[in-house]
Amino acid sequence: MIDIEPLRFAWTRAGADTLALGPLHLAAGQTVFLHGPSGCGKSTLLGLLAGVLSPQQGRVSLLGQDWAALKAGQRDSFRADHVGVIFQQFNLLPYMSVLDNVTLPCRFSALRRGRCQDAGGPEASAQHWLQRMGLTSELWGRPAAALSVGQQQRVAAARALMGQPELILADEPTSALDAALRHGFMDVLLQAARDAGSTLVCVSHDEQQAARFDVQWSLPALQQAGVGA
Amino acid sequence: MNSLLGIARRSAWNRRSTLVWVVVSLALATALLWTLERLRHDIRTSFAQSVSGVDLIVGARSSPVQLMLFSVFHIGSVPQSMSMDSVRALAQHRSVSWVVPLSLGDSHRGYPVLGTTAAYFKHFAHGDKQPLVLQQGAAFADTLDGLYEAVIGAEVARKMGYGLGQSITLGHGMHDHDHAHEATDTQVDEHADKPFKVVGILAPTGTPVDRTVHVSLQALEALHLDWVAGTPMPGGNIPAEQARKFKLEPKEVTAALVGLKSRAAVFNVQRFVNQYEAEALMGVMPGVALGELWSVLGLGENALLAVSALVALVSVVSLMAVVLAGLNERRRELAVLRAVGAAPRHVLGLLTLEGLWVTGAGVLLGVLLAQTGMLLGATWLQSALGIRLQMGAVLLAGMLASLGPAWRAYRLSLADGLSPRV
Repeated sequence: MIDIEPLRFAWTRAGADTLALGPLHLAAGQTVFLHGPSGCGKSTLLGLLAGVLSPQQGRVSLLGQDWAALKAGQRDSFRADHVGVIFQQFNLLPYMSVLDNVTLPCRFSALRRGRCQDAGGPEASAQHWLQRMGLTSELWGRPAAALSVGQQQRVAAARALMGQPELILADEPTSALDAALRHGFMDVLLQAARDAGSTLVCVSHDEQQAARFDVQWSLPALQQAGVGA
Repeated sequence: MNSLLGIARRSAWNRRSTLVWVVVSLALATALLWTLERLRHDIRTSFAQSVSGVDLIVGARSSPVQLMLFSVFHIGSVPQSMSMDSVRALAQHRSVSWVVPLSLGDSHRGYPVLGTTAAYFKHFAHGDKQPLVLQQGAAFADTLDGLYEAVIGAEVARKMGYGLGQSITLGHGMHDHDHAHEATDTQVDEHADKPFKVVGILAPTGTPVDRTVHVSLQALEALHLDWVAGTPMPGGNIPAEQARKFKLEPKEVTAALVGLKSRAAVFNVQRFVNQYEAEALMGVMPGVALGELWSVLGLGENALLAVSALVALVSVVSLMAVVLAGLNERRRELAVLRAVGAAPRHVLGLLTLEGLWVTGAGVLLGVLLAQTGMLLGATWLQSALGIRLQMGAVLLAGMLASLGPAWRAYRLSLADGLSPRV
């Protein structure tokens, strides 16, 4: 599913490596807890996995496809088809309704729109995932800006799940939530990702959550392996 | 792309409070540009159309432009008069169809007074050979009955509120218009002893005729019977009625308008005038003198043109600045769009679309503004072609201006979302 050949990445050509990773492999459907201190390059690794950044050395492949082998436009459509993203916050277009926000990926990816047909179309599929994330129907028509931060993160998760992309990247999705909400959010996200059959890579500081993921990646540990190799 | 329209629409509506000002500033710039261009065009047209149907203007030898300015626009002065004998000689030339003598020098409330004959109203034309039309009343009679009668231009009638039968008095010399207004109450007109009656009002022409008071040559002669060398003769006041008994044939006039039987003879007659032996005269072809005059005024036209270009430049640059500033506000939004799969071309389309309709709305509003302003203001002339060209240019410039920010947005958006810096 995800294959990383030993890679090096630096933000500037002359600067020191931000990331030096050994070979890594991840099977489809697994959930990954990616942790490490601030500034160690977690978001950079997500960028590499999403094909937004390209390593100076080595290779990152998704579904057997080397990101570097694609042109910029192809990368964009490959990403739209196979990757769902959840940011820390500000995930939604504030002027659109919850439901319209969730169906957004289907506007840009025919593949994911097609996959929603089994559920009865984008709308029905969106309603399904919103329900799975614990958002009741009276919220669906509201503008996204009217929701609480916790609710907005759930909407973002439902959107990432639309059309069951092979990979979901979540960059500290619970950091804007208070402790009481974090557990509930992670519960539903993990369960939904498993149901969708999506691989989930989740960056988090909250080590209490780690045990509930299939795989734990400590970035400092991975880095050392890379340096060793 | 269809789904993009909906997003663009709702995104713009969400930022309507800022966008309204962009539209307003664009509208103002367009209105300014439009008005300037219209003004430039109007000045040129009204200028070129101020005299027509006249083949030659004849006066004492000086500069052609000076003669033109004084006899047609009633601006400035000419150093010399021409004698009435020369006018009569000219009228007897076999190629000449008509001669209308003009005499200038007095004014009424800042409006120039033109002494002429009733033939003036028959022969003088403006625009594309459009003759003068009397909106009300009739021309003054060339006989003694019409001695104290005046025909006024449309602007004189409108601004001063004169109707037929109004009694007016004339002042000596060409008073400055503004000063004349201040002085109306305190200063008594030098020719107040011989009041005139308004017998005709001309239809608007858009030329200096509108600002002119026309009287007969004899009337001017009568006014100055008791004057010597530009000042009233002490104790020599001649009452209005008594003046009729004098010989009122003028001995000299300022200039003469000449119409020919055939335009082909114009150079012949011009040579006849220029080589006239009894006094130094010159014949000026109005078209040539107007062209010469315009080349001088062209400096002003170029200034207007430069201002127009500057206005256009400033408005496009400020549009770009506003869109760029707005982009900061939209970074988050564009990052979200990129994260859900929008390609750079979608973002580009979104921003260009917005630039296009904002510019379009601004231009439309601006044109509407300018048109309304001009409808409420002075009369204007149609020049549809020029207008459409201008609109297209502003639209294109606005679209191009939105492309720069669009490119920047494309570079920013995805990296932004994945590594948020708030």
